[in-house]
Amino acid sequence: MPTSIQQPSLADLITGQQGVIQDCLAQGTLKLKLLNMGFIPGTKVTMIRNAPLRDPIEISIQNYLLTLRRSEAKLIMVKYHG
Amino acid sequence: MVNVALAGQPNSGKSTIFNMLSGVNQHVANYPGVTVDKMSANVKYAGNNYQIVDLPGTYSFSMFSLEEQVAKTFLLDEDTDVIVNVVDASNLRRNLYLTFQLLELGKPVVLVLNMMDIAARRQITIDIEQLSLLLNVQVVKATGSKRLGKADIMAAIATASQQEQTQLFKINYNQFEPYLAQLEEQISIESTISRRWLAIKALEGDALIVEKTGIKQQLIDDLTDEIHKRYDLDVDQGFARLRYDNADTLFHECVKEHRSGQENLTNKIDRVVLNHWLAFPVLGAVIYLIYQLSIVGGYELTNYTWPILASIKNWIIGWLPQAQFIDVPPITDFVIWMVNSTIALLNYVPIFFILFGLIAILEDVGYMPRMAFILDRVFKRYGLHGQSTLPLVLGGALVGGCAVPGVMATKGIADERARLATILTVPYMNCMAKVPFYTLLLGAFFPEQMTLMMFYISTVTLFIALSVARLITATFLSNKETAPFIMELPAYHLPTVKGVLLSALQRVWLYIKKVVTIVLAIAVVLFVLLQYPGIPAETMGQFRLSAEKALSDFDHKAQKTGHYQLVDEQMEVFALLNLYDQYKAQRMLTSSKEAVDSLDQAFMAANPELFPLVRPQGGDAKKINKAVRKLSKVSKKIRMAMKNEKISNSFLGMFGRALEPVSQYCGFDWRINVAFLSSFAARESAVATLGSIYENGQQGQRAENALASDGAYTPLHAVAMLIFMILSPPCIATMVVVKLQSNSYRWMAFATIFPISLGLITSALFFTMATHLGWSGEEMMRYFYLSAAAIAIALGLSNRKKPEWSVSK
Repeated sequence: MPTSIQQPSLADLITGQQGVIQDCLAQGTLKLKLLNMGFIPGTKVTMIRNAPLRDPIEISIQNYLLTLRRSEAKLIMVKYHG
Repeated sequence: MVNVALAGQPNSGKSTIFNMLSGVNQHVANYPGVTVDKMSANVKYAGNNYQIVDLPGTYSFSMFSLEEQVAKTFLLDEDTDVIVNVVDASNLRRNLYLTFQLLELGKPVVLVLNMMDIAARRQITIDIEQLSLLLNVQVVKATGSKRLGKADIMAAIATASQQEQTQLFKINYNQFEPYLAQLEEQISIESTISRRWLAIKALEGDALIVEKTGIKQQLIDDLTDEIHKRYDLDVDQGFARLRYDNADTLFHECVKEHRSGQENLTNKIDRVVLNHWLAFPVLGAVIYLIYQLSIVGGYELTNYTWPILASIKNWIIGWLPQAQFIDVPPITDFVIWMVNSTIALLNYVPIFFILFGLIAILEDVGYMPRMAFILDRVFKRYGLHGQSTLPLVLGGALVGGCAVPGVMATKGIADERARLATILTVPYMNCMAKVPFYTLLLGAFFPEQMTLMMFYISTVTLFIALSVARLITATFLSNKETAPFIMELPAYHLPTVKGVLLSALQRVWLYIKKVVTIVLAIAVVLFVLLQYPGIPAETMGQFRLSAEKALSDFDHKAQKTGHYQLVDEQMEVFALLNLYDQYKAQRMLTSSKEAVDSLDQAFMAANPELFPLVRPQGGDAKKINKAVRKLSKVSKKIRMAMKNEKISNSFLGMFGRALEPVSQYCGFDWRINVAFLSSFAARESAVATLGSIYENGQQGQRAENALASDGAYTPLHAVAMLIFMILSPPCIATMVVVKLQSNSYRWMAFATIFPISLGLITSALFFTMATHLGWSGEEMMRYFYLSAAAIAIALGLSNRKKPEWSVSK
C-alpha cells in the first residue's frame, strides 16, 4: 500500500518557507482543534521560527501566529509553495 | 433584567470591553462545579437593568479546555437574551468563524468590532454597513483599551433586547443541507436555540448535543458514512472549510487592506524576544524583574504596612481584659493568637498585590504564551506544559517565592493533566517563609558554609519539583485528559491601568476571602490543641512561687521610694506593669521625636499618676522604673516557661511524642515534631516555636546559639530537618488554594500527605546513611543534592514510550 511518507510535513518547512496544507493525519480532538484553528487543506502556512530549543515551532496561518509542537506538526502534510 | 453574554475568541480584547461596560462593580464567582472564574456585572442603561457575563474566550463551540466547555454550556443552558460577540477588527476573517456559529444560535447578536485603533494603524478599512447587512446584525465600532464605544454598545444591546425574532442567519452548507433538514425533523425538544444550529452540531458529532436533542448516535454515524461514500467528504473538515470559505468571501466584500509592506510591531518585538540567542536572557531578565518588583519591592512595602497591622493589633489588645501578672485571661490569649495568625497572612498582601498586578500585565501584554513557547521543550519532558513556567517561577525559583500566587496562576493551562501536575508541583518550590527557618538552622550549625548550603537548598527545589511532576504524571495523573499544545501568539498590546488594577484587586480579595477565613478556622483548632489540657497543678505551683518572689522583690524596692503609696496594692502593681508593657509595645513602632512626644502626652493624659513611673524624669521614679523593668523581664520569662510547659503538656505535644517512633529515624524528637506541626498553620511559626522551645531557661541567648549549644542535636539532625522542610508543603494557605484550583479535597489531601511522606522517608534515608557512614552535615546535604539532581536529569532523559496523538491510516 503506498503511503504518503515521502510527502513533507509542516515540521519540515524551514524558517521563512511557505507551504500549502494538503492533508491532516490527526484524529479526534486534535483534528477538531486543528480544523477550528484553520488547518484546512488548501490553506497557506508559513514557518516563522523554531523555539530556542528547536521545539515547538511558530507558524503563521490565517493571518495570525500560532505555536505547536513538532510532534503535532508532523501530522500536517504540506506541499512546498514558492 | 436583560441577560447579556459577552462571547468572543481569545485575544479579541473581550475583557477590555467588559471592563469598559461594567465599571468597578464587577462580581467574581465560579461556574458551577469548575474552577473557571465567572465575571459578571450589573449595568443600568436607560432605565433598564442589564446583567452582563464575560464568558471565557473560545475559538469555536468545541470543548478542548475547561474554559471552552464553560462558555458553551453557558450559551446553551442559560436564559441569554442578547449575545455580544467581540471580534478583533484587525483579524476579522478568523474571528468570523465563531461569529457564524453564534449567529446560527438564533438569538439576538450585537457584533462589536474591537481594536479599531489597531485596524486603523494597519490601514484596514471595514465597510460597517455592508457587514451589518450581510450578517443581518447590528455592528458597533469600539476600542476597549481606550474606552471608546461604550454608549454605542449599550444602545445596540438595548435595541437587540427589544428585537422580535428576526430571520435566521444561514450559511449555505451545500451537500450537507438535505442531511441537516432530515436531522431537524428528528429534534423533539423545545429550545430557545434554533433547530438548525442543533442539527448542525449533531451532524458534526457533538456528543453533548446529540444527547440533548435525543437523536440516535447510530443515525449520525450512518449519515457520516453516507456522506463520506457519496461525496468523499469528511464531515468535520467539510463544515470547517465552508465556514472559512464564507468568512473569506465576507471578508473580501467588507474589508480593504492596504498592505504597506511595513513590518508590524509584534514581528519586530518577537525578533528580539524570541530570538534564538536572546530568548533566554530576555526571559531571565523578565523573571528577575518580577522578583525585584514583587518579592524585594513587596518586602520593602511591608515595612510600611507592618506598623499599621501592628498598631491595629495593639489597639485590639487594648480592649482585652488585662493580664494579672502571670495570669493571662484565656480570652486575651485566644484573641492575641487569632490576631497574630491574621496579620501573619495579611502581611503578604502587598507582595501578592504586586505579584498579581505583574501577572495581569504579562497576560495582557501577550508574553505569557511566549514564555511557554520558549520553555515548553524542557517542561514537556516532565509531563508539564510550557505554561507551567510562570507558576513555578512564582512558587520560588532560586530565591524565595510563594506557592499561593503560583498555584493561582495555573488556571490558564489548557492541558488538564499538566495543569493538575503544576498545581501539585508548585508547593515544592522555594517558599520564602521557609527562609527564616533555614537561616536559623544554618546559623546554628553551619555558620561557615552558609552560602554553599543556601545554594544547595535554593536550587535543589527545582530538581525535586520536576522529578515529582514526572512521577505523578506517569502514575496518579496518567489517566487525566491531556490537550495538544496549540497556542496562539497574540499581537503585543499595552495593558490598561484599570484592567491590571481590577485583576490584582480581585485576586487579592479572593485570597483574603477564601484563604484567610479557612486558615483562621484552622488556627482555632491549633489553639485548642496547643492550650489544653494545660499545665499540671504541681508545676503551676512552682511558677506561682517564683511569681510571688518577684512581686515581693518589687515591693521591697518600692517601699524605699517616695512613690510607694501608688503601688502598695497588688492590683496597682499589675496596672503599672501592664502600662509599662503597653507603652513599650507602642514606643517600638514610633520613631520620630514628634511622634514620641505625642505618644507620651497621650499616655500621660490617660494615666496621670502612673505614667511618670513608666517614663521617669529622675529621682525615686527612676528607681521604681528600674524595678518595674526587672519585674516585666521576670514575668515574661515565667510566661515563656509556662507557655513551653503548656506546649509540652498539650495535645499537640502528645501528638509530637506519639510521632517519635517514626520520626526518630530522621533524628526528630518530639520538640522538632511540635515545631513542624504548628508551623503548618503558617511557615513562620516554625521559627517561633522552635525558638521559643529552646529559649527555655536560656533567656538572652539568641535562638541560633541556644540551638547549637543544646547538645542534643548534631549538624546531621539539622540537615535532616532541612531536607524535611524542603520537601514538606509550605502551609495551610497553599493547601487551600490547591483545593480551590483543583476543585477537589482529594487532591488537597494528596498534596499534603504525599510530600510529608516523601520528606520523612528521604530525610530518614539520608539521616541513617549519614550516621552509619560518618558523613559530615555538609556531605549529607551534598549527597542529597546530587541524588536529587541525578534523578531529575535521568527522568528528563528517559523517553516516554507512547505517542501523544493517534494517526489515521
